[in-house]
Amino acid sequence: MNLLVCIKQVPDMESKFKIDAAGTWYDNADLAWRMNEYDEYAVEQAVQLKEKTGADLTVLCIGSDRVKETMKKALAMGCDRGVHVADDASSRKDSFSIASIIAEFAKSKSFDVIFTGMQSQDRGSGQVGVLVAEMLDIPSITTIVDFAFDGGKIAAKRELEGGVKASVGCTTPALVTCQLGLNTPRYPTLPNIMKAKKKELLSVPVADLCKVEAVSETSTLYFPEKKGGGLILEGDVGELADKLIKILKEKTAVLA
Amino acid sequence: MEASREIYWNVGHSAATLVPMYLLAIGAMGVLVYGFLQRMKVYRQGKELVRWDEMGKRLGTAIKNTILQDKVIRVRWPGLAHGIFFWGFGLLFIGTLLIMAQADFLDLLFGVKFLKGTFYKLFSLTLDIAGLAAIVMMGSLLVRRFIFRPQGLETTRDDVIMHGLLFVILVTGFVIEGARMAVTELGTPLSYWSPVGLVFAKAMSGFGEEGLRNLHKVTWWFHLFMAIGFICSIPFTKFRHIFTTSANMFFADRGPRGKLTTMDMEDEDAESFGAAALSDLSWKDIFDADACTRCKRCQDRCPAWNTDKPLSPMKVINQLGEIAFASPDAELIETVGKDVLWSCTTCFACQDICPAGIEHVGKIVEMRRNMVLMEGEFPGDEVMAAMEATEVNGNPLGIGYASRGDWAEKLELKTLAEDPEVDILYFVGCYASFDKRNIAVATSFIQLCRAAGVRVGILGKQEKCCGEPMRKMGNEYLYQTMATENIETMNGYGVKKVVTSCPHCYNTLSKDYRDLGFEAEVVSYVNFLEELVASGRLKIESRDLSCTYHDSCYLGRHNGIYQAPRNLIKAAGGRIVEMEKSFDQSFCCSAGGGRILAEEKLGSRINIKRVEMASATEAPTLVSNCPFCLTMFEDGIKGAELEEKLVPRDIAEILAERIVE
Repeated sequence: MNLLVCIKQVPDMESKFKIDAAGTWYDNADLAWRMNEYDEYAVEQAVQLKEKTGADLTVLCIGSDRVKETMKKALAMGCDRGVHVADDASSRKDSFSIASIIAEFAKSKSFDVIFTGMQSQDRGSGQVGVLVAEMLDIPSITTIVDFAFDGGKIAAKRELEGGVKASVGCTTPALVTCQLGLNTPRYPTLPNIMKAKKKELLSVPVADLCKVEAVSETSTLYFPEKKGGGLILEGDVGELADKLIKILKEKTAVLA
Repeated sequence: MEASREIYWNVGHSAATLVPMYLLAIGAMGVLVYGFLQRMKVYRQGKELVRWDEMGKRLGTAIKNTILQDKVIRVRWPGLAHGIFFWGFGLLFIGTLLIMAQADFLDLLFGVKFLKGTFYKLFSLTLDIAGLAAIVMMGSLLVRRFIFRPQGLETTRDDVIMHGLLFVILVTGFVIEGARMAVTELGTPLSYWSPVGLVFAKAMSGFGEEGLRNLHKVTWWFHLFMAIGFICSIPFTKFRHIFTTSANMFFADRGPRGKLTTMDMEDEDAESFGAAALSDLSWKDIFDADACTRCKRCQDRCPAWNTDKPLSPMKVINQLGEIAFASPDAELIETVGKDVLWSCTTCFACQDICPAGIEHVGKIVEMRRNMVLMEGEFPGDEVMAAMEATEVNGNPLGIGYASRGDWAEKLELKTLAEDPEVDILYFVGCYASFDKRNIAVATSFIQLCRAAGVRVGILGKQEKCCGEPMRKMGNEYLYQTMATENIETMNGYGVKKVVTSCPHCYNTLSKDYRDLGFEAEVVSYVNFLEELVASGRLKIESRDLSCTYHDSCYLGRHNGIYQAPRNLIKAAGGRIVEMEKSFDQSFCCSAGGGRILAEEKLGSRINIKRVEMASATEAPTLVSNCPFCLTMFEDGIKGAELEEKLVPRDIAEILAERIVE
C-alpha cells in the first residue's frame, strides 16, 4: 500500500507579522516556522495507518530549502521518505497551482490514501486537498475527526456545525483532509529523529511539476483598519455621567 | 602492684579457648567476605562509572562522614544518638583489638604488656563510659523506633535483629566485666576505674564465687557467639551499611552539584537513551540502594511527598535495590511508576540531606529521559506543547521569538548585536523576557546596573531558553539544541562575563554548559549586586522592611548561595524573619525539575504550602530570587487567599526602590 501526506510549513501564529514590500503576502523576517497544525494531524493519521498496514508513506512539501526542517519532523514522526518540491515562490502560488503540483506528482504513483490538513494556518483557503482529489478523480472526505481503514474502505467522521457528526465512507484510492480532534500528534522519539536524518529526501524542481497557470490572484494583503479602540473615562461619578451622556449624544443615536 | 587485669580470666588463655574463638572469628570473616562478594555481582549489573579519581579528597569525605559522622548529626537528636552510639561502639571495638593485640600476640610472642598502670586505668574507664553511652543511645533509638515511632520510619526484621544483637552484646559485656570484678576487684581502688562494671559487680556480689565464675564463663561464650553472629549478619541485614554507606561516601558524586550527565547526541549506534532497565543505570546507582539505611530524611524533606504526591526518594532508591537483587529484568519505569518520576522538582533536598551519599535526582532524570526520548511521553499535553513551543520559538511560553527583547525597548537597552562593548551580558531567561511580573524584575536589575555604572547588554531575540526545564523533564535533545545555539551566539560575541537573574539559567550556564564548550564566567545577580554594594559602586538606601526570605533550590542547595541575598536584603534595611524551613532546609516552590511547564494534578499544591509557611512568619513581604518562585508565589498567594497578608517581591525590586541617585 502507498500513502501520501502533504504538509505545509507555516509561520508560528505568535510571530510578529508584517506585510511584505509587494503588499501581497507577509514579510518573512523574524518569523519562526513550523508545520501547519492541521498537517500534523494528517501526518499522525498517516503514520498510524502505515504502522497498522505496513504501507509505504511519502511526505510531500512545497517551498524553499527552509521547509526541509519541517519535513524532517514528519520523517521523525514516521514517514518513510520525503519529496521536497523546491519552489522559492510557493507562497505566491494560488491554491489551484499548489493542488496541480501535488496532483502532477501523485498521478503516476498510485497512492491508496492521501492525507492533507483541512486548511493552512496562513493562507487558509481550505481548497488544496479537495482540488487534488478532483484532479486525480478520486473521492475526498474533508475535515475528518475520526478515521478508520479496513480492507480498502475508509470510514471517517466529519464534524459539522454545532458539534454534529457525520459518518462518511468511501473506497480507496481517496483523499482525506484532517481537522483538530482527529488525534494527538506524537512527539518524535530520539531514535526516530536520528533515523530521519538518514531517510531519503528527494528534491524536485517545481518547474517539473507545475504545468498550469494561476486561476486566482491575491491583489493586496492588509491588516484590518483600526476602528477606534476603547475609551476609559476617569473622574468622579457625577462628572463621569455627564461625559458619558455627552458622548452618547454626539456619537450615537441612542438618545435621539 | 601495677594496675591491670588478667585477660582471659576464668575462661583460660589456652588452646581450648583460643582455637575455637579464632576459628569462629575466621569463619565469620569468611561469611562477611562471601556475603559481600555475592553482592558485588549485583552491583556489577550496572554500567561502568569512574568513582575513584581524586582518591585523597574522596577519602577525606569518607572519613568526615563515617568517623566524624558529619552528615549523620545534621539531624540533631537521632543523628547524635547514632553518632554517640557509633563512637562508643567504635571505642569498644578498638578496646577489643588492643586486648587481642596484647594477649594473643605481643604478650604471647614477646612478653610485652601495655594494658597496665595509668594507661590501663584510662583504658578501662574509657571503655566503661563508651559502653554505657552506647547502651543509652541504643536504648533511646530503640524507644524511638519501636515505641514512639516517627511517621514514615519503616521497621523491618532487620531492625529487630540489629537492635537486639547490639543491645545483647553491650549488656553481656558489662555482665562479664561485673562478674569478673565481683570476684577479683570488688573493694580495691582499681574498681573505681570501671564504674559501670562496678555497678554490675555490686549487683551480682551475692552470687558467690562459684556462681559468678559459672555465670562469667557462660556469658563470655554467649557474648562471643553474639559478636560472631553480628559479623556474619552484616552482609545479610541493614548492618551492611557499616561498609556500604561508608564506601558510598567515598564514591559520592564530587559535583558540580546538580550537574547532569551530558548525553552523547552524536552517537549513531546508540539504540536506547535514558534508563529503562537496570543495565542502563551505573553500578553506583545500584550500590546507592545498598547504602540506603531507610532513615527517611529524604522523604521527610521531599516537597512532593509532603503534598501527598506518590514520590518518596527513599522508596525509589529501595525499589531500584529490590529490582537489582530480586528481579533484574524488571521494567524500571513501570516498577517505580510514571507519576512518581514526574513528581520530582529536582529540589535536591533529598540528595543534600542524605547521610549515605545517595544520588536520587540523576536516577529520576535518567528514567525521565527514557520516557521522553524513547517514548515521546510527558506528564501532560501541556508539557508536550511547551516542548514544541520551545522548539519553534525558543521559549516554553510559545511567544514569538522575535519579541524576546521587547521588554528592554523602553529602557533603550542594547543588544550585543547593536553594541558588543559591554561589561556584562545579562542572560535574561524566558520568564523575565516574556512574563509581565518578571519583566519588572529584569527592569529593576537593569536600573541597578545603570546606577552602578555597569554597561549591560542582552542577546534580545538571539537568546533562547537555557534549556533547563526541558533537560530536567528528560528532554536532553531539546536542551542540547537550545544550549548549543546559545553557546554559539555568546561565543560569537566573545562574551566574557554573564550575569543571570534566574537561578535555573545560572546553574545551567555555569555547570551544564561547560560540557558543551562554554567557558565565560557566569555570576548570579545576587553575587554580582552584593559585590557592587560592597565596593560602593552601587549605593542603596536602608529603608525598613519586614520580610521573610525564600531560598530558591537552585541558588541555595544547588549553589550554596545563602548569605549574599541576605546581605543585600539587610543592606536595603530588610529585617528577615526566617521561615522554619530556610537555608539548606528550604522547601521548594514546586516549579523546579521542569515542573514549571506542568500542571500540578496530584496531591495538594506545593506553592500554597510554601506561601503558608511564609505567612506564618507574620512578615508582610516574601522576598525571593527566582522567576519560577516568584510566579509560583504570586499564584500560591491567590490560591491561599493571602493577598491581604503577603506580597511576593524579588530582591532586585527591593533594591531598585532604594537606589541612591
